[in-house]
Amino acid sequence: MNKQTEAKVDNLIAELWQRHLPNLRERLDLLDRTAAEASSGALAEALRAEALSIAHKMAGNLGMFGYPKGSEIASEIEHILKAPTQESLLRLSPLTVQLRKTLAPGL
Amino acid sequence: MRRILIIDDEDDIREVAALSLEATAGWQIFTANSGATGIEIAATEQPDAILMDVMMPSVDGPTTFRIMQKNPIVAHIPVLLLTAKVQGVDQRRFAGLGVNGILFKPFDPLTLAQQISDILGWNDDASEPPPSTLST
Repeated sequence: MNKQTEAKVDNLIAELWQRHLPNLRERLDLLDRTAAEASSGALAEALRAEALSIAHKMAGNLGMFGYPKGSEIASEIEHILKAPTQESLLRLSPLTVQLRKTLAPGL
Repeated sequence: MRRILIIDDEDDIREVAALSLEATAGWQIFTANSGATGIEIAATEQPDAILMDVMMPSVDGPTTFRIMQKNPIVAHIPVLLLTAKVQGVDQRRFAGLGVNGILFKPFDPLTLAQQISDILGWNDDASEPPPSTLST
């Protein structure tokens, strides 16, 4: 593949990233709310299920946009939300902070 | 020119996969945001292959695949499942369905076309028609 094609794909993906930013920010906000509720020991089931779905989607797509570490963190969040324990839920808050830091250059 | 159908409920996955396959391989892309719509498009467009997400609301990828296998109009079309799951047990379960291959998310947009070609045994010359359409 030549450099021109690579640059074209990179540019198109950068445009897509910009277009999907509002959606991504909403998803990050939802994960923050989930982590806050989890830390308080009162995570509602509906929010857990929604956050699980969001984390799954982010695990699958952040790497495509050049954030493989973001995918890893989202995957870890997904793993916790799939089979939560009191102990594991406390890890959500630092993970969501880490996720925002990882994505910060593109937000 | 290869013709690929992408079935995924996630807009960004569909869009990134489509633009990468168009830009890197010059393939013609069709997209669907659900299994039901995907089956309709597959029947009318007869793509050379289908790239399909595993986890979709309503009807998931494996169920859509099983429905397609019972429909002679689309059963012959190669299907690659797209999944974020990487556990060995999931790989074996999906492979057991009879799909032609599994691709993992997140994928590299620059190499997605090559990955698909490698799995399906397509030649580098993407303008060559797939084996199923070659006349004898």
